[in-house]
Amino acid sequence: MSARIIIKSGGRASWAIRAAAAAAVVALLLWIPTRGSDSLIDTCTTAAMLMAAAMSLNLLLGYTGQISLGHSAFFGIGVYTTAIAVTRWGWSPFVTLPVAFAVAFVVGLLVSLPALRIKGVYLALVTLALGLVFPAFIKWPKIEWLTNGSRGLDQTGFKFSKDNPTYELFGWNPWGNLRGQNVKPFYFWVGVLMVVFVYLVCRGVVKSRVGRSLVAIRDNSTAAAVMGVNLAVTKGIVFGLSAAMCALPGSLSAIRTGTVTPDSALLTVAGSITFLVIMVVGGSGSLWGPVMGAIVYQFIIERTGDWSDPDKIPGAVRPLFSWSDVAPGGGIFAMALILLMFFAPFGIVGLWHKLVAKVVTVVPKPAGTTSLVREETAPAES
Amino acid sequence: MALFLQRLVDGLAEGSIYALLALGLVIIYRGTGHLNFAQGEMALFSTYTVYQFGEWGVPIGIAVLLGMCVGFVLGAATEVVLVRPISKKSPFAVFIVTIGMFQLLNWLDGAIWGGQQLPSTAMGSKQVKFPSLFPSNPDDYFTVFGAAITWRSFCILALVLVIGAVLYLLFNYTKLGLAMRAVASNSESAKLVGIRTSTVLMFSWGIAAAIGALGGVVFAGLTTNVNQSLMFQVFIYASAAATLGGFDSPGGAVVGGLSIGVIQNLAAGYADEWVGQEMKVGVAFLVILAVLLLRPSGLFGTSKVERV
Amino acid sequence: MTLLRTQGLTAGYGPLTVLEGIDIEVNEGEIVVMLGANGAGKTTTMRAISGVMPRQGIIEYEGRAIQKASPDAIVRGGIAQVPQGRGTFPELSVADNMRAGAYVRRDSAASVQADLEKWFEVFPRLAERHAQRAGSLSGGEQQMLAIARALMSRPKLLLCDEPSMGLAPLITQELFHVIERLNRDEGLSVLLVEQNANLAMHMASRVYLLETGRIVASGSAAELGADDTIRKAYLGF
Ligand SMILES: Nc1ncnc2c1ncn2[C@@H]1O[C@H](COP(=O)(O)OP(=O)(O)OP(=O)(O)O)[C@@H](O)[C@H]1O
Ligand SMILES: [Mg+2]
Repeated sequence: MSARIIIKSGGRASWAIRAAAAAAVVALLLWIPTRGSDSLIDTCTTAAMLMAAAMSLNLLLGYTGQISLGHSAFFGIGVYTTAIAVTRWGWSPFVTLPVAFAVAFVVGLLVSLPALRIKGVYLALVTLALGLVFPAFIKWPKIEWLTNGSRGLDQTGFKFSKDNPTYELFGWNPWGNLRGQNVKPFYFWVGVLMVVFVYLVCRGVVKSRVGRSLVAIRDNSTAAAVMGVNLAVTKGIVFGLSAAMCALPGSLSAIRTGTVTPDSALLTVAGSITFLVIMVVGGSGSLWGPVMGAIVYQFIIERTGDWSDPDKIPGAVRPLFSWSDVAPGGGIFAMALILLMFFAPFGIVGLWHKLVAKVVTVVPKPAGTTSLVREETAPAES
Repeated sequence: MALFLQRLVDGLAEGSIYALLALGLVIIYRGTGHLNFAQGEMALFSTYTVYQFGEWGVPIGIAVLLGMCVGFVLGAATEVVLVRPISKKSPFAVFIVTIGMFQLLNWLDGAIWGGQQLPSTAMGSKQVKFPSLFPSNPDDYFTVFGAAITWRSFCILALVLVIGAVLYLLFNYTKLGLAMRAVASNSESAKLVGIRTSTVLMFSWGIAAAIGALGGVVFAGLTTNVNQSLMFQVFIYASAAATLGGFDSPGGAVVGGLSIGVIQNLAAGYADEWVGQEMKVGVAFLVILAVLLLRPSGLFGTSKVERV
Repeated sequence: MTLLRTQGLTAGYGPLTVLEGIDIEVNEGEIVVMLGANGAGKTTTMRAISGVMPRQGIIEYEGRAIQKASPDAIVRGGIAQVPQGRGTFPELSVADNMRAGAYVRRDSAASVQADLEKWFEVFPRLAERHAQRAGSLSGGEQQMLAIARALMSRPKLLLCDEPSMGLAPLITQELFHVIERLNRDEGLSVLLVEQNANLAMHMASRVYLLETGRIVASGSAAELGADDTIRKAYLGF
């Protein structure tokens, strides 16, 4: 191609693009809670929770090549740790977050270790079983005194009262308020913080020595073994971390909705599949994949939510979906999952990288200079 | 004693359904090394078609055969259209594709036969009455050593033993069976002796899905309904059975399936307040974990299992 | 008469080209030996002829082009390969391994059984172990099994990839005698890959020397053996 744009990595143009992107993200983050409609804020908050969950899954898959179908259980551990601590023991909701994190870490480590010692599909199998066991366990009569069985728990949320402080800035408060009149922006920001936290943990793991050895594991087990990485334990710890991070959005969901039941979708295997869909659609193996995936997922699910009524389907796609009185979201994403594997195995982010590579050449910095630049790109197709 | 015998037979009957699905899992795993996560959903889709044929007035026996044909075509088509081209890319892609099939079939079931799709709702959904294949009135039983054995359990067990025998003959005494075993054993050498490995794999998937369809029908008959979440747990029981028996051993799948059924029924029977209906799935989970810890290749597997 | 002829045969693995244009010929009733260092591309040549890997160029068998044919069509046409490193079906019994070899035959089960017994006479050790799993045979026995299995398809051309690998010298000789006898008595043509140049050249009608994907020399055993440079560089005697 003749008209290629050439950008020097670390050069002025590169920094300008970065700054512009960052500014756009910040502007968007401020715009949503202040100017966006209530339903938009809700959608984005839900998307943020799904993002965190999918990121945790992505850490596992993208960097160890392992797959979990049981992350709904860890999400559920978050939900129930918070719900039980708040309703049974009267804890303040946000204090339960680190506890949920710890509980999920331990459970994840214990459950994954037997499967991680063996190559192949066993981890997927064990975690799928875990995903099915979790709701059953919550409803187990022996544990009802704690979980209240299938009736679920109430009043698990954050209690707003008129005495809570407000944090206004010249009469302007983009974070809503804690007195209970305008709480949606508040949860939005909690969600954003959570995503940032999970992102930083993932990034930390990825860039650390452990992370590099993880990539070595993914690409070549023998090489990793030669490097002296204890595979099963390293993978187990990463699995635990991944599980722990997935518990955080679970906790937030209990705090935000105020009621929990063991049969709500994200706590069942359907939840695990949702996280998987988001990760694959966004792009596995890249830190930004789940972010894109969650946004696309949540918007499409909400957009198509009322398509069970044929009259609500826009004309262009009506013939495709009007024959059924079931919302097509599940089917759309199922087909997306299959088609993406054929045409874009690295999802939206992978497609974006490909597209950019067509018109832009990024000249890497000379070897040896320390990199301040994000290095991750979609892993090479194999 | 009588009670024990009764529970044993009921466990064997339930276990034979798991054995059917586990057989399907094993046949596919041996051929391609993939775990077909859509196995249960393929069975469910075929089961719905059996229901549909019944609604159209087809006698149940013929409807079941037609349903098995639907299953065969579904399995074979999945292998040819999706799994074969994608398996050149990576095992991960195959895994995702089977998950995609899982989701797609489940959604289709709901979209065609009513119900609600997976991600936005809980697993409960509209249920469809399903006819039982076998006598299932309360007084359809006979007595052995004082134990009341229902004809239904007896027939299911007999059916599975017959299917097992047919498969045994197929594997060991037919050219197709020989080809299937050869492909499972060494795919390059299979090509070198002139076996069309792709055709064999297509048949493997087809047969696996057809057997699964039968399992689905029998299970739906046992619980007298079909619904979208019917096969989730059965799939896990079948996987537990395959893990227990060894993922590359068809005989192991049968033994594993029967064992899981018996273990579950005895556990649920004798420790009702601990296990009950809810935690039956917990038993399967513990079996999987225990097998992985103690004997990863399963009871009869030829231990191609690799340690990390 | 020419049975097999390749012309400009190229093949490789992914981006890597291994064969850079191979021209060889096997005439009816010949034993043709292919020699070459490790990694020269001998196995690749065999696999390309058998059709189990992508290939370009011309492969002619009995005057028909078979470079586009599928492996099963090639076997049915009468080319059987004994793969390098045994390549038996370890989980199958010895007898089932041999029956798998007859997979492409359309004649009756009885005549397959008759052939089975015929080869059991040639390889009595296999007969003793007919119900045993192939994986539990010794290396030499597995090699015999691989040959017997290939013969079960009643080939006209046998591609034999290092049958002596890992065998004791005595067994190797025994094996070569069998191959020679098949060639003499049954008119079986053979394309033989061998590391043991000395031994193989004794029975070769003609010899090809392969080096990094190219034929660098060819001729009768006597011709090549007489050429000092070739003998020193490639044959090592
Ligand atoms: N499956 C494969 N993938 C990639 N490269 C391969 C593969 N098999 C062989 N090669 C490469 O192709 C080249 C030729 O291999 P080939 O097996 O044909 O050699 P050979 O002459 O049979 O050697 P040997 O005497 O050791 O059997 C080698 O460089 C080898 O590394
Ligand atoms: Mg070789």
